[in-house]
Amino acid sequence: MRQDVVDRIAPPVYAAVDFGVILVPSLAVKLAADRGGMGDATGVDLLLASTALGVVHAVLAWSRLRAEERVAVRRADMWIAAIDALVVLALGATMLLIAVFYRFADEHASIADRGYPVVALWLGLQLVAVLLAEITGRLVFRWLEPPGTAAPG
Amino acid sequence: MSRGVTRRQVLAAAAGAAGSVATAALLGEHVWPLLAREDLIPGSAPDMTLVPHAWTTTPTEVSFVAVGDNGSGGRQAMAVAAEMARTYERAPYGVVALLGDICYYGSFEDRFDRVFNRPLRPLIDAGVDFELAIGNHDDDLRHSDESMEEIEAELRLLGTPGLYYQATHGPVDLFCLDSSVPGIFGDVAGDQWDWLDDALARSTNQWRIVTLHHPPYSSGRHGSTPGAQEVLEPILRRHAVDLVLAGHDHHYERTRPIHGITYVISGGGCKTTRVGRSDFTVVAESTLNFLHVHVRGDRLRGTAIRPDGHVIDRFQLRAREGR
Repeated sequence: MRQDVVDRIAPPVYAAVDFGVILVPSLAVKLAADRGGMGDATGVDLLLASTALGVVHAVLAWSRLRAEERVAVRRADMWIAAIDALVVLALGATMLLIAVFYRFADEHASIADRGYPVVALWLGLQLVAVLLAEITGRLVFRWLEPPGTAAPG
Repeated sequence: MSRGVTRRQVLAAAAGAAGSVATAALLGEHVWPLLAREDLIPGSAPDMTLVPHAWTTTPTEVSFVAVGDNGSGGRQAMAVAAEMARTYERAPYGVVALLGDICYYGSFEDRFDRVFNRPLRPLIDAGVDFELAIGNHDDDLRHSDESMEEIEAELRLLGTPGLYYQATHGPVDLFCLDSSVPGIFGDVAGDQWDWLDDALARSTNQWRIVTLHHPPYSSGRHGSTPGAQEVLEPILRRHAVDLVLAGHDHHYERTRPIHGITYVISGGGCKTTRVGRSDFTVVAESTLNFLHVHVRGDRLRGTAIRPDGHVIDRFQLRAREGR
């Protein structure tokens, strides 16, 4: 495949995978609610929160790749860093949720009656995962590139 | 490195490749299914006030609800509890038969308020009685001192008279068993089966219903409990038990009458797991649910209900000959 075609296709595919990784945990909860007969609206709040975050981060990740593309001495550095960031995002976006909701069940149950904090907690945890992924991606890219390469963006 | 590949690139690429494979396997096979199966998202407790003691219990009539595996305190548990409260408004009942696993994610003592008081507050305030079939502490936990402390805490906090006991409500004699005893369906039977045999023999009420956590018949994730059909079923047959209610598997399932006994699993109190069909299955659905039972005279009507109020199953039993 020609390099310019790869350059055109790969970033949006990466952004789509990035979006999916953020969305899947909320889809799992929503599908469980649907299977359980909880009513159509249950789980939509988490789905919307993850969708919003996923769209924002997909755009951000795409922009990061475009920026790195302009300054990268070696194109491979950009993609290696991007894959590392995606792994951190995939793990963080799900494992943080599991860890916090499972390990601190009683602490956050007390806020449940107020409704929105559950969504805020969900969003906050996924935001932490996004930040970790962004830091990983940028640090790995800087680490791989030869010294003196301009910082992207 | 040759051809311009740096050591750092190799390291970072290897970490990325290994991480991708491990993450895909971990998330895809374990974590996402776990997230879909468990009830980890906190839920709002039902905010309802029910008319106290609105039910009718006479020597020929009683209504009760059975629910199992409802101990998460999460969204799904709250949804089931809310529909139980709404069902009380439509068709009041005075008893909830808990079919075990009433507390997940921690000790019952610590989580009593979260998993029992909050979701079931409207029913507690309405004066509904709770009958418990012990179910927690499956597998290795049930052998430990910790498990006995948990069971004792459950009995004390719920005011349950014993590990296994009989309760009479109107025309129904309810036999609540402790199927968590190690080896109870094997060689280490203990006193419970002798007690059950005697208690059923003495029962003179029109209806005999047994509740326990581990299902003798199931097409679900755990399946039929090994040994239960050999050890328990002969006693149930001997005394013409009408209905057996169980949990453990997180779905709804009703069997055809097996030697005159109908077996129902209502283990979808807060989680769901997949269910298939067996030759004994009449209805099976992987869904959150509870069972509303209304007994009047020689008719018992069961209605399995989802949290959105949808009815999964309706069935009717007729009292045994001579009762």
